Amino acid sequence: MPELRGSFGDAPNHLLTRWFGTPDLHRLGVYESKAGGYSALRKALLEMAPADITSEVKTSGLRGRGGAGFATGTKWSFINRDAPGPKYVVINADESEPGTSKDRYILENSPHLLVEGILIAAYAVGANQAWVYIRGEYDEPYRMLSEAIEEARAKGYLGPKPMGKDYPLDIRLYRGHGAYICGEETALLESLEGKRAQPRSRPPFPAVKGAWGRPTLLNNVETLATVPWIINNGGAAYAKFGTDKSPGTRLLSVSGNVRKPGVYEVELGQSFRHVIMELAGGVTEGRSLKVFWPGGSSAPVLPASMLDTKTDMEALAAARSMGGSGGVIVMDDSHCIVRAAHRLLKFYAHESCGKCTPCRVGGDWAVRTYDRILANEGSQTELDTLQRVSDGLQNGRCLCGLGDSAGWVIDSTLRHFREEYEDHALRHECNVGGPPAASGRHLPRDRDEAASA
Amino acid sequence: MSALSPHLLAEIKELPARYPQPRSAVMPALDLAQEELGYLNPEAMSEVAAALELDPGYVEGVATFYTLFHLAPTGKHHFYVCTNLSCTLRGADEIVEHLKKAIAVTGPDAVSAEGLFSYEEVECLGACEFAPMMRLDRRYYYDLTAEKIDDLIADRKGHLPARRGGRRAAPGGETQVPSVPVEAPHPSPPVRKSALRAPGERVAREGRDVPRKKKGA
Ligand SMILES: Cc1cc2nc3c(=O)[nH]c(=O)nc-3n(C[C@H](O)[C@H](O)[C@H](O)COP(=O)(O)O)c2cc1C
Ligand code: SF4
Ligand code: FES
Repeated sequence: MPELRGSFGDAPNHLLTRWFGTPDLHRLGVYESKAGGYSALRKALLEMAPADITSEVKTSGLRGRGGAGFATGTKWSFINRDAPGPKYVVINADESEPGTSKDRYILENSPHLLVEGILIAAYAVGANQAWVYIRGEYDEPYRMLSEAIEEARAKGYLGPKPMGKDYPLDIRLYRGHGAYICGEETALLESLEGKRAQPRSRPPFPAVKGAWGRPTLLNNVETLATVPWIINNGGAAYAKFGTDKSPGTRLLSVSGNVRKPGVYEVELGQSFRHVIMELAGGVTEGRSLKVFWPGGSSAPVLPASMLDTKTDMEALAAARSMGGSGGVIVMDDSHCIVRAAHRLLKFYAHESCGKCTPCRVGGDWAVRTYDRILANEGSQTELDTLQRVSDGLQNGRCLCGLGDSAGWVIDSTLRHFREEYEDHALRHECNVGGPPAASGRHLPRDRDEAASA
Repeated sequence: MSALSPHLLAEIKELPARYPQPRSAVMPALDLAQEELGYLNPEAMSEVAAALELDPGYVEGVATFYTLFHLAPTGKHHFYVCTNLSCTLRGADEIVEHLKKAIAVTGPDAVSAEGLFSYEEVECLGACEFAPMMRLDRRYYYDLTAEKIDDLIADRKGHLPARRGGRRAAPGGETQVPSVPVEAPHPSPPVRKSALRAPGERVAREGRDVPRKKKGA
């Protein structure tokens, strides 16, 4: 069984993770007997019309958990079920947003939950073939998902007549090869077609012209893993959780300087104070919270003073950030915001696919500007440059969200930590720190140095 | 003399039929090639292109875009150490420093003696709650410490003859790791401003500042 750090077990808000931690939950027999698995698929295939499934998902108010938060039921209804020729469901299991590990949590603990969700979605939108695009580094999740699919096939839950229903269903896997941009839906489709993963311009949207030019439903792992619960319990029951506009629960992967990093299932609308201070145990002993990224590295940062911000998408938008991928990165007061931003800009510059100029040039330009500031060669010019690059990356000047994200890192850290930037750029000093907290997890620097002496 | 074995090329020729359009076979094919050869050289890419009836330039364009395709030999055991934010906040930089010394390489393009080890700093691997973490030999390793790195290295060296320095293979292939006394943490640690370091150090070390995928973009 995989190591489990986060939510599981009996709690009213554990819709997805209720049975996580059950020994051998990844085996079909256990998933069925202990967790009531595949009852939703049975119900969908044998008792429901495809349109009713989609409308149940609409009623639930479920919004995509991949990053953009688009209404899932609405997305499903964009696929013309009656269009002749093949249609596909493509599952985004590329999970590469820094700070995000919730899809892996699902894949390693309950792969059948995803398999079941995929099959229901495929039936609802009129597809017979699903493709899971899974990042290449996920060796164990890949193995577990493959085994789950084979088990389901052997049991007759997918294949020519799933559960006896005359509606062929199949799932195949496609491995990624290490490129963050493949998480962007149209880049993912390019990659699936055997090309360099450069985003396509839209329209046409994938629902009309997606994988191999065919109508395609593209959803995130967590989104589809939520579907079986909705089918079993009804969309209205799901909508009772969370807030009006962000219903339900979602998995937040909490990482960084907290005592109990882990993947926690949280009812939307709970505060980040609850998530970071209670669930994840607060920051390391002797430290205080400085800043957090509420939805992966692409979500604009929130300073400690905004810890009471709620987790629903509307509250985050009001705080000028976003729910993004649900990756909550927590940083304590021993770390420098300028260096953190520099690290992330290196990430965005490295991962830019190079298709549009502001992103290709701007990312590298920002990194070089940070280099100068951190080498104590900065001045007001560098600060102005950062702001200019950030503006140039945002507001739809780029083809995909990667450019915006890079801009937001600069913009939001500058906005909330202006003084720290000025310390570096104008006064050439870093006023962050104090002695590091005693933490068994860190390598003591002095021992390292002693070894090399 | 071809780079790839005839039976592998035969296997690659079977791949396109599995996809709605044949071009999707290019990455699975490059995977097979890399598995056999350890990395992708121009000959291997040309042979894959020929087997799939694609333009060699196209295949190379795909291979150079994705970081999991290696264009130069790596060590038999390649460490993919995550140094993105969540891991760096929990000491990933120290792990990389320790690893570099432990496998005695100068940087990410270098391969250790006998071709055994190499490493690379990678972006988030999606296991941030176990930071600092890495991928090695198709497995994830969590909550890394210097000791864990040393143990893994000793284990991977296990099949080699006994070497100077006292680590020797025990019967049965198990490796005996002499227990290294762990010093107590320094009573009053020197002031460390931040685990996120000054850029100069990193740039020199990474050697990959210009993303290679942009070549010919
Ligand atoms: C740069 C970039 C990276 C993305 N990475 C991912 C990812 O790793 N996984 C994911 O599910 N969605 C990712 N997305 C969002 C997808 O484009 C898409 O919105 C999502 O997969 C749709 O599924 P959903 O509606 O179920 O959320 C990314 C978007 C952008 C712009
Ligand atoms: S914004 Fe960046 S990653 Fe997105 S398409 Fe443009 S260059 Fe590529
Ligand atoms: S930041 Fe290292 S695994 Fe996510």
